[in-house]
Amino acid sequence: MAARLSGGGGLVTYAVAAATLVFVVAPLLVVVALSFSEANLAIFPPVGFTTSWYEGVIADEEFQHAFIVSVTLALAATAASFVLGVPAAYALNRWSVPGARAVEAMLLSPFILPILITGLALLQFMAAMRMRDAATNLFVGHVLVTLPYLIRTVTASLKQVDRTLEEAALTLGAPPWKVFWRVTVPQIVPGIAAGCLFAFMVSFDDFPISFWLANAETVPLPIFLHNSMTKIFDPSIAAMSSLMILTGILAVIGLEKLVGLRRAMSV
Amino acid sequence: MTTSALQTTDIRVRRPVIPRPLVGLALLLPALAFLVVFLVLPSLILLGYSVLTQNQSGDIGLPLTVGSYERLIFSPAYRRVVMTTLRVAFFTSLFTSLLAYPLAMVIAYGRPLASRITMILVVAPLVVSVIVRTYGWQLVLGNSNTGVLNWILGAMGAGPTPVKVLYTEWAIVIASVHVFLPLMVLPLSASLSRINPSLNEAARMLGAPAWRAFLRITLPLSVPGLIAGLTIVFSLTAASYVTPQMVGGNRGLMLGVLLEQQINTAFDWPMGAAIASVMVAIALFANVGVGWLAERRAAQRLLRSGAK
Repeated sequence: MAARLSGGGGLVTYAVAAATLVFVVAPLLVVVALSFSEANLAIFPPVGFTTSWYEGVIADEEFQHAFIVSVTLALAATAASFVLGVPAAYALNRWSVPGARAVEAMLLSPFILPILITGLALLQFMAAMRMRDAATNLFVGHVLVTLPYLIRTVTASLKQVDRTLEEAALTLGAPPWKVFWRVTVPQIVPGIAAGCLFAFMVSFDDFPISFWLANAETVPLPIFLHNSMTKIFDPSIAAMSSLMILTGILAVIGLEKLVGLRRAMSV
Repeated sequence: MTTSALQTTDIRVRRPVIPRPLVGLALLLPALAFLVVFLVLPSLILLGYSVLTQNQSGDIGLPLTVGSYERLIFSPAYRRVVMTTLRVAFFTSLFTSLLAYPLAMVIAYGRPLASRITMILVVAPLVVSVIVRTYGWQLVLGNSNTGVLNWILGAMGAGPTPVKVLYTEWAIVIASVHVFLPLMVLPLSASLSRINPSLNEAARMLGAPAWRAFLRITLPLSVPGLIAGLTIVFSLTAASYVTPQMVGGNRGLMLGVLLEQQINTAFDWPMGAAIASVMVAIALFANVGVGWLAERRAAQRLLRSGAK
């Protein structure tokens, strides 16, 4: 395969790709660099080296609260998407459901609809239903955006399952539930785990849903960060952002270890 | 497992007591019900709001009117926002696809190590919040010599604050290209790695230079991935809020920001609902319309080339 990127054309491709990767990484590196600056404003170039912005952020009670809200929300949304999504994806791929393609399109439709609009529609609906509890509303909204990720990854994993193994087990007399539990499940677990991790990150990073549904008491981390940006101009914003970059890097390492990035992204 | 397979293998498969479609339906129902109640129904209600009238005291009701849509399309101020949105989405899609090809080529055909590093660096930003990435661009594009770009240009001797990019349409395009690049690279590299390598080898053996083999074989065969990427990038850019709000300023007002202003500042729900409906229409056109056009073109090509 390596032979397909060789010679002058190959070199040019590598060079342009490398330059693009600099463009990809640069703004994130700038944020991390400024989070260690001793200056009182987040301006370039950074001055000296200090970890005091991190200490300040981690000790800040509002930040702690926002972090806990986001982690709880992401865990709850991922768990609910798992409970709703795994059976649905299994049914679509293994049972002859009438109109399966239309149903699948419908289940994946949150991918197509602008999330900002999904959040606004939900806000208006919940207000009309007199549902004023922000935590519940946020939970419902986050499940809407994470569910399609679970359905897509489980579907992809089910398609890669070796069907002859299932048939062999059936031939040897295993009841269908046992075939599912002992043959199918072990093959799809890494895919489901990768889907859950991705769903967790989608919820943890979400802005457009939380933007409409959060209130003053329940503030997820991205909303807290966005609010802080209009009030604070010192490098503590960069420190908070760097902590979110760190979570993202950990998630990518997790995906690579679980199933390999290329499989997780179905490339 | 199809029904015919079941019938021919009666000896080994015990028939489930409950008809299979019913079990399938029972497994599907919770997810489906959840989406109908919390996505389909609210979206339809919001669509309905866009043709209602809001009176002076803020009550929303009959008569039905298309006044909000009329204002959105015919009032110059609103129309400018629609055009800005489409223009930013267009240029973002264009630049994203140009930058994505080399990256996708390295992921699909590069040496294993280069491919792996590229993949990690492309995917990592995808799991970093848009807020953080756009904040990074605020710092890079800052309109004084404390912005990274102007600091570098100044250090190279270009004088004080040579470029003012922040709070323009171009700032939105640059940051959006950064935000959505992974969503173009991923389908593209999936498409590239599915191309049969012997096609390229055959072209090269028959004497085609590398660039020609790329233009005549690799490029046309990667079109499905390109279209998938273009669709996603165009519709997400047109529907974005964070990036235009943070780096666009007043000159880069897009539909998402206008929507937020109508709801949270003007409290004009029918107008907000009309903007939302237009944004959904753009997304649906990008997803359904582009796919349909692409299929038609592919069919025509097939006909012209004489294949049946």
